[in-house]
Amino acid sequence: MADKYLVEPDVEFIKDLQKLGGDTLKKCFQCATCSVACPISPDNKPFPRKEMIAASWGLKDRLVGNADVWLCHNCGDCTALCPRGAKPGDVLGAVRSYAITEYAEPKWLGKMVNDPKKLPVLLLIPVIIFLVLGLVLKIFGVDWLNFSPAGEEIAHSKFFSTWLVDMIFVPLSLWTVAIFALGLKRFISDIHENALNEGKTDKEKIDAVGFVKALGRVIPTILKHNKFTECGENQERATSHLMVFYSFIGLFIVTAIFFVVLYVFQIHGPYQQINPVKWLANVSGVALVIGSFLMIKERLAKTDETSVYKDWYLLGLVLGLGLTGMLTEMTRLGGAAGISYTLYFIHLVFVFNLFAFLPFSKLAHLVYRTVAMAYAEYAGRK
Amino acid sequence: MDKKYGVYICTGCGIGDALDIKDLGGVAEEEGYPVKTHPFLCGKEGVELLKKDVADGTNSLVIAACSRRVNFDIFRFDGCVVDRVNLREQCVWSHPRSEFPALEEDQKDSTEYFDRLQMLAEDYLKMGMARIEKINLPEPYKLDTLNRKILVIGGGITGISAATDAAKAGYEVTIVEKEPHIGGYAAKLRKQLPVEDPYEDLIPPVIHSKIDELEKYPNITVKTDTVVARIAGEPGDFTVTLKKPGEKIEFDVPFPLPEEMKLDENGKDLDVEKQHELYLQYNEGRQDILTFDPNGEKFGAVILAAGWRPYKPEEGEFAHLGFGDSPDVVTNHQFEEIAANGKITRPSDGKEAKSVVFIQSPDKGDDDSDFAYAGSITSLVSLKQAKYVCEDYEDGKAYVFYQHMRTPGLSENFYKNIQQEPGIFLTKGSVMGVSKNGDGMIVEADDTLLGEKIKVKADMVVLGTGMVPVTADDPVVNLAYRQGPGFRDIGLFDGYCDSNFICFPYETQRTGIYAAGGVRRSMTIDESMEDASGAALKAIQCLESVNRGVSVHPRSGDMTFPDFFFQRCTQCKRCTEECPFGALDDDEKGTPKPNPARCRRCGTCMGACPERIIGFADYNIDSVGSMVKSIGVPSEDDYDEPPMRVLGLVCENDAYPALDIAGLNRLSWSADVRFIPVRCLGSVNVIWIKDALSQGMDGVFLLGCKHGDDYQCHFVKGSELAEIRVKKIGDALASLALEEERVAQFEVAIDDYDKLPQIINDFVESIEELGPNPFKGF
Repeated sequence: MADKYLVEPDVEFIKDLQKLGGDTLKKCFQCATCSVACPISPDNKPFPRKEMIAASWGLKDRLVGNADVWLCHNCGDCTALCPRGAKPGDVLGAVRSYAITEYAEPKWLGKMVNDPKKLPVLLLIPVIIFLVLGLVLKIFGVDWLNFSPAGEEIAHSKFFSTWLVDMIFVPLSLWTVAIFALGLKRFISDIHENALNEGKTDKEKIDAVGFVKALGRVIPTILKHNKFTECGENQERATSHLMVFYSFIGLFIVTAIFFVVLYVFQIHGPYQQINPVKWLANVSGVALVIGSFLMIKERLAKTDETSVYKDWYLLGLVLGLGLTGMLTEMTRLGGAAGISYTLYFIHLVFVFNLFAFLPFSKLAHLVYRTVAMAYAEYAGRK
Repeated sequence: MDKKYGVYICTGCGIGDALDIKDLGGVAEEEGYPVKTHPFLCGKEGVELLKKDVADGTNSLVIAACSRRVNFDIFRFDGCVVDRVNLREQCVWSHPRSEFPALEEDQKDSTEYFDRLQMLAEDYLKMGMARIEKINLPEPYKLDTLNRKILVIGGGITGISAATDAAKAGYEVTIVEKEPHIGGYAAKLRKQLPVEDPYEDLIPPVIHSKIDELEKYPNITVKTDTVVARIAGEPGDFTVTLKKPGEKIEFDVPFPLPEEMKLDENGKDLDVEKQHELYLQYNEGRQDILTFDPNGEKFGAVILAAGWRPYKPEEGEFAHLGFGDSPDVVTNHQFEEIAANGKITRPSDGKEAKSVVFIQSPDKGDDDSDFAYAGSITSLVSLKQAKYVCEDYEDGKAYVFYQHMRTPGLSENFYKNIQQEPGIFLTKGSVMGVSKNGDGMIVEADDTLLGEKIKVKADMVVLGTGMVPVTADDPVVNLAYRQGPGFRDIGLFDGYCDSNFICFPYETQRTGIYAAGGVRRSMTIDESMEDASGAALKAIQCLESVNRGVSVHPRSGDMTFPDFFFQRCTQCKRCTEECPFGALDDDEKGTPKPNPARCRRCGTCMGACPERIIGFADYNIDSVGSMVKSIGVPSEDDYDEPPMRVLGLVCENDAYPALDIAGLNRLSWSADVRFIPVRCLGSVNVIWIKDALSQGMDGVFLLGCKHGDDYQCHFVKGSELAEIRVKKIGDALASLALEEERVAQFEVAIDDYDKLPQIINDFVESIEELGPNPFKGF
């Protein structure tokens, strides 16, 4: 009898999930239609039925460190078929959102990211950092922030020096990586423990080499969005998600090339429009705008699924990022210097938000879901 | 009555195509009956034809057409007796010419060939003519004095609702309540389940407004601190003696002598006088049932709304759940008392009970039954009380462990709403035990929806025990009936009083007494109020039937009643004892005293009577016996290989309609069987079976309703009694060198029509294997 599981429901956890988009979680009556409907749920211990009862019983320990909630791609098949309107897809989304906040330290920052009232503060942080750092450097004679750039040609580095940008964004990237690293350490240990408890794995310990190999095996799946396209309800979302996903990869490549060219070959931008790197940048930028616009449109059209602040924050950020980026370029080419510099500044604010709060926002799914999928692959979850 | 006969044959619906109508009419003409045929007898012209003959004095009509179950209103003529010969459903539709060919011209005079279908139709026509000769127009049984007051026993939510409903309809009502106040359990609740749209939230008890409403009716009298000492007489003329609870008075109802006291030391039945003497000793100080209280109050009908009491667990009954061991393990009734008094606290130390576990099924392992006397109400109450916990404490947690969560109908809305409460946790599961844990408890459960064995911490544990009908403890109605003061065989229903739950709600086994609310089954306040309306309507139906001298139910409007030819009564008491409705009382000699208003006209007494002195105007030993005798039994004198003749006595409630449905669906069966509809298998007198066999018929079977614990008999006992009686004639048959297998009984339900051909044909085949009845041709 010692193996009995002492159930201690956490009512606050239930209320938190309800605020995070899982307001329907208590409607579940455990028919398991969701687990049957889900095209990507494994046969052994399928989700999301067990997650639904755990959620309605407030069993935080069974959900936050549960890799299964990440295997879900929120395609909405379960939500569409749920006879009680319990929206399992949205409940798992809320659990993921809770888990992101749980694993990303400091927690107060996570809370801010999920709080619409704190949005002005989040936007103000980069503004202050940029201005304060730029002005302080000016006092020491380093003129990296110039409010009246001279010359015929518009080059954004004349206004906001590349040095200043990188001085901020390089440490910021490291901070993001560090936060993820700390979070993942706990996350991986938690999901493994959970899998052992629930009998979802045949592996006793996590072997690093095996795990990395598994990661290698899931990368093509992710790149092809295979899991996404297995869904019945939200096929169209695969396209928009794919666009945004690839545009980020494209922009990452562009940024990397730019970085290398700048520091190794000392060649400054902006590049010519005939430069293939520029092509990639433009295509990615357009894809980002269209993809994020489509995602917003799809979300607005899907009235049977819940959308909460965390969704709009990320979508707004991505769309803002793409729009300001593209508009900055267009105004630059059009010769509207003042507008172009202003847009560039706003663009930088968005980039900062995206980077700095990546581990705290919904975008963190790119790390957790990848790890969870790799773990499932490693653990032989079928 | 002076009878003027007429036989009318309809040739529509395929009858004329399949039968030789001229020959058929000839059968009647031979007997001297005028015969008319019409191609569409139920049509305007056909009915005109009938009406004209009726106007010209014809008053005994044999209508050979469709089943008696259709067009009964069209073929009803005031002042006439009518018999319907079923040529359509049970002849031509169920015996197609393709299977039962007509004779060729050259076969007609041969002893080798016969036309089975034509024989069938001719027999049915002869049976109809035989019956019409023997039956008479019924005259209603009118009470000398009719009282239209309604007595309501019980002043709880059901009684109050029933009284209000009856008063609204203009009837005078008296409520008797044993407690000093009316209101019952409904007045002792903190909150109650919803009674109206949207059926989502708990509401304050509605009983108070129901009491206010009641007080507005001047035609309702309320008598608190009062119980029923006895109810004597019959519907429309009940004499009721009321008394204070606990009082002993001479008009307390006497109890029948227990079975063991009816025997002498050798285990033999004592004689009637001795039994009567013992009966008087046994009921010393009480007046016999036939003595009416001169000061008794008169009522016409009774509504029994005496309600229920909370189940009291026996000592050690739920020891594994900690009941009796810890004061913090309580029943749902005790929990409601705590909740009604204020915040929910632990009985042991008065500390706040913030974590409460509700258990719905007491047994672990394979037995998943709920507590005794539980039902959907106990599921709903667990949800209600779980909500109390969350109402009292913001961080309160309530767990419901159930094997069945029953929230029927719109109470699903309530379930959905309660489910939304963050602090309420529901799971199916089998509770393995409750153990101590510090000053609290641990409840362990297996097979839960959470996927494994779990345990939860509890400050209190609540057992979802049931609602015991008060009729399980006490007769309550205290009827001055020879069969006893309560409802017979109430044990079959765990003490709930109900005669046939599905078909006849509210009706009890005693005509004129209608049950509603918790005495009928465990139910909510909402259901009780609806039930009350049903019972009130039934009581009104009763009053509005006995005033015209007709049967109340289920043979509503039947004007016949059993008539006794007392000169030949041997005081065997079988009728008194076997009447399923206790309609008969008897005097000290054992002579039955009929109470026709209590009677449901099933004829069980007629079937029981060995002297055959009981009968109805249109249904009696002679009328059925004559039908049996009119059936032609061909012997070897007539044909080389004569066909078998089998008699089927068919219950007209389920089996006869099932035969009609089979015919309607063109299912066919042996044409050698002749059916006679009977009111109930209980009314079958074995003399009919003996008559049939002694005139050479080869077999007899009874077709009726299922009996036993979950019987379907419309008259409760009929098919069961029939089986006992049929078994007993087996010995008599053996003495005549006839095989017992020639008599059988089959059970069917109305929807078993598709099984009937098989049942019938198998029986005919088994008779063919036995060979012809040796008495044939004598």
